[in-house]
Amino acid sequence: MRLSLQWLAEWIPLEIPPEALAERLTMGGIEVDAIERSGADLSAFRVGHVLEREAHPNADRLSVCRVDTGEGEPVRVVCGASNVAAGQKVAFAGDGTRLPDGTAIKRSKIRGVVSNGMICSEVELGIGADASGILVLDDAAPVGAALSDVIGSGDVALELSLTPNRGDCASVLGIAREVRAHFGGALCVPETAPREGARAAKDDVRIEIEEPADCHRYAARVVHGVRVGPSPDWLARRLESIGLRPINNVVDVTNLVLFEFGQPTHAFDLATLRGATVRVRAAREGEKLLTLDQEDRELDPDDLVIADAERAIALAGVMGGAETEVRAGTTSVLIESAHFAPARVRRSARRHGLMTEASYRFERGVDRAGVARAADRVARLVAELAGGEVCAGLVEATGAPAETVEEIQLDAERVNRVLGTAIADAEIQALLSRLDIQHRRARGGGDAYRIPTHRNDLARPEDLVEEVGRIYGYDRIPTTLPVAPLGPVHAPPLRAVAEQTRDAFRAAGLLECMMLPFLRSDDLDRLGIGGEDPRRRTVAIANPVLEDEARMESTLVPGLLRAVHRNQTRQIDAVQLFNLSRVFFARGGSTLPEERVAVSAVITRGERVAWYEAQDDRPAPFFQAKGVVERVLRDLSRPAEFAPEWAEPYHHPGASSAVRVEGARVGSVGELHPDVAARFDLEVPCALLELDLSALAAQGAPRTAYAEVSRQPQSSRDLAVLLDRETPAGDVLAAIQQTGGTQLVRTDLFDCYEGTGVPSGKKSLAFRLVFQRHDRTLVEAEVNRLVDRVVKMLGHRFDGELRNAPRREE
Amino acid sequence: MTSRTSQELAELEREAVEAIEAADSLPRLLEARSQVLGRKGTITESLRGIGAADPADRARLGRELNLAKQRIEARFADRRAALEAGARERELREHRLDVTLPGTGLRSGHLHPVTQLEREMVAFFTGLGFSIEDGPQVETDYNNFEALNFPPDHPARDMQDTFYVEGGNLLRTHTSPVQIRAMQRLEPPFRFVVTGRVYRHDFGPRSSPMFHQIEGVMVDERTSFGDLKGILYAFARQLFGARVDLRFRASYFPFTEPSAEFDVTCPNCAGAGCGTCSQSGWIEWGGCGMVHPRVLENCQIDAERYQGFAFGMGIDRAAMIRFGLPSIHVLFEPDARILEQI
Repeated sequence: MRLSLQWLAEWIPLEIPPEALAERLTMGGIEVDAIERSGADLSAFRVGHVLEREAHPNADRLSVCRVDTGEGEPVRVVCGASNVAAGQKVAFAGDGTRLPDGTAIKRSKIRGVVSNGMICSEVELGIGADASGILVLDDAAPVGAALSDVIGSGDVALELSLTPNRGDCASVLGIAREVRAHFGGALCVPETAPREGARAAKDDVRIEIEEPADCHRYAARVVHGVRVGPSPDWLARRLESIGLRPINNVVDVTNLVLFEFGQPTHAFDLATLRGATVRVRAAREGEKLLTLDQEDRELDPDDLVIADAERAIALAGVMGGAETEVRAGTTSVLIESAHFAPARVRRSARRHGLMTEASYRFERGVDRAGVARAADRVARLVAELAGGEVCAGLVEATGAPAETVEEIQLDAERVNRVLGTAIADAEIQALLSRLDIQHRRARGGGDAYRIPTHRNDLARPEDLVEEVGRIYGYDRIPTTLPVAPLGPVHAPPLRAVAEQTRDAFRAAGLLECMMLPFLRSDDLDRLGIGGEDPRRRTVAIANPVLEDEARMESTLVPGLLRAVHRNQTRQIDAVQLFNLSRVFFARGGSTLPEERVAVSAVITRGERVAWYEAQDDRPAPFFQAKGVVERVLRDLSRPAEFAPEWAEPYHHPGASSAVRVEGARVGSVGELHPDVAARFDLEVPCALLELDLSALAAQGAPRTAYAEVSRQPQSSRDLAVLLDRETPAGDVLAAIQQTGGTQLVRTDLFDCYEGTGVPSGKKSLAFRLVFQRHDRTLVEAEVNRLVDRVVKMLGHRFDGELRNAPRREE
Repeated sequence: MTSRTSQELAELEREAVEAIEAADSLPRLLEARSQVLGRKGTITESLRGIGAADPADRARLGRELNLAKQRIEARFADRRAALEAGARERELREHRLDVTLPGTGLRSGHLHPVTQLEREMVAFFTGLGFSIEDGPQVETDYNNFEALNFPPDHPARDMQDTFYVEGGNLLRTHTSPVQIRAMQRLEPPFRFVVTGRVYRHDFGPRSSPMFHQIEGVMVDERTSFGDLKGILYAFARQLFGARVDLRFRASYFPFTEPSAEFDVTCPNCAGAGCGTCSQSGWIEWGGCGMVHPRVLENCQIDAERYQGFAFGMGIDRAAMIRFGLPSIHVLFEPDARILEQI
């Protein structure tokens, strides 16, 4: 909300600079977002009177005017505006006057005619945006007066952001009250009572409330004989100072009063109303209303409307109807001031996407005692500015009273216990009285406070504690530390798994990335994930920011592939990224979805090779990814098992494996399928790995225990075996380990070779077997026996053929 | 075997010394030594033959052989030392690397700045005995709003633009629904922190639809607003340095009463005012207050007996302050060059 300090100063003395005021309001809960200075000092400008206007002899678009400036002889001024006319009161800048933008006005010749100054537009004066012509002042403006005395000058506006509980502050009155609470001073509230004529308003109109629960009060005044026209300067400026466009003297008055008191009002052209009864009722099924913004709106039965005998004429608390609006020619005006239930207004405003100054205030709650005052004030000002006679009396009807809290019990002990302060009773009472919250003895003893009608946000003792705290000043509350026993700290088991996993990925050289966790509509199709896959049970967002990003991730893979693509487009082809995040699986209906914590990583093979490695010596990307999985699971103290299978549809079928821990599938590793790579526009080879950390955490924390190491010497043997190319090395390794028994403490695969010297269709695997006992040294014969057993096993189980005699390594 | 004469012995010794001196490598030297002093070496064999010598000559022979052996061993040791020194010198001369070649180090991994800050923050609070609580990101309206004292059709709901999911649930707009879940389970006194992702239907130059919060709650019989200030001061100084100051502005959150927003001294200008803080010297950081009694009641906690504070702030915002990021969007941009540096 924008607020002019000039305006505010009429309501409460402002004896401090705007910055200090803004600081205090902000600290007290009325946040000042900006302080804007508008309008320069206009005291050097004078009110001029255009005595004559004639065409410029040498230019079609210029006029030559004789202007009375109140000093000496009238002067000749050349003017370029088309709206200049004899008889006008105008803003005149004489020789030597400086415009707010710094330009100095000089006596000069314009197309051969001497001009002794300038007649100014709003823009030139720095007070408005209208550059279409000169500013025409009120006829009553005294010739020769300083312009600043006529239209004011040098205003400061505060841009306020109000919290939703402080509807009472959405007005000059409300802010003036806050200022008074902080700085003291007396409120100066303008006169509201209209001078009434003889004719009674009740002869023109009756009010009926059909929805008493949502219309607590509806008051109306009638003014006859008005002349609708432009508002006087002071009113137009005032509205402009808070960013409103003046419309006409009647509508402008309703807007002015809305900002003065925070009570929305509306003016109807009484002559357009059918029948003499104004009804507050629910909209009918299918009923329509053309609102002031020229939108034809289909109403909902939950909408509260104002209606005449035949039709809805306003959306209650939100916006009036176009057919009954006050316009040029309107002579009789019905002024509405009402108290509608906040929730009902809010629903209508949201339903129709219409957030208005009125709905804003009704949603936050208006002062229940301010309804009549606003109607009076509007009637008074309409009669003052548009003429006419105010009918006697306020026509009104009441619905069910709003729920209100009139008194709250509060003792000082509570205030000080909650705030951690030692504020005396008397000071608490004094602080609250600055907010019109008056102390009184409670009936059963103790302290109670009367809540003023404009503070419908105050309902419980804590609300008053806050009022005490914010007026006292949060900065004055002593800073302490809680005293409490230090017990053991609990954390969800999944957290430890997730954090260990992050550390393991980091140690393995991967970069953690975070991305917006939304799937794009064709992501799952592009991955080739089928209809039965649980990842198809996505959680859909009903109101996404982007239509194409309307689902929560059920897999982290598309995001990572996009990340690779993004890097690729920036010429970064070698990346190792991981993303640890939640994935979501819908369970249907209103059941909350299943959420699991997953980690996925992508490793790409870039073009670049380090100086110490050869391009063609590098293992397939699959093994890099597999190495990361092994490392991560080792860091998590979980032994990884790899089952050769086509684990994911987006994996290359020849380079894919499931990852299991204790028999349960916990993830996968594989190279990206070339078709999928093409669908994501990826040009570099990628390997993916995924782990379901929720599944790992569900297995419980593994116990890490010390195992005694052997102090005896070990014996090693190297075996090179020719095997069929298709024989899985993992099977061979496992079989060797099984055959070697407990005395075979380690088996390393140290070479895997195909090529020269190896028959086609075969491969050569070289193993180092390490034997050791805990209790004594193994003698050579024992080791040889074990090796023989392994060699025989390799022969009959894998058709393996020893390439050389077992070599002894010491 | 006949015993050798002194002259023969001298000849033997001279040959051995020559061979030792002529050896130009350690293997050759060892070879030369074993010719003389090895198992079948000339001196060794002579020593072995003493028994067969003339008894009158034995003493002389033995003495001369041993002296010769000692002299040869000494020459051998000298020569060995000289050869070894030469070899080391050669090795030192010849092992010359271009030490400006890059090392064969592994790629270094990196944790996301939000993870780094989250860990620092959580470590501070666990050190003060706060447990860690967790909850779902897709939440019910009740846990996200209603139980936190946001009535239906109340403008407080406009404070948090919400993503709704099909079926009527929503993406949590703050970590506070975890307060409800935890407090329904826990018996006071308790204190805990919650961290995690939250979502707002808002996408702009300064706002991301997903970001991260940390939130803390402490409930006991006398935990006060002053205690809240004390904890937050300690926390801010742990994160941003001992010189930062905080200020508490009155504000409104439905789930706290009294409520405050708190700002931290702009670390960029140390409070003097700069572009980062819009010349104010302060950076908005979070919200806090005393847990609203209605929230305690919604969790079946006796609000007459217990009171406590709650606070929450953006982790992303802290990361932006710490690393001087120009925009929150930098955090969610998976560019390796960004991820490696912060």
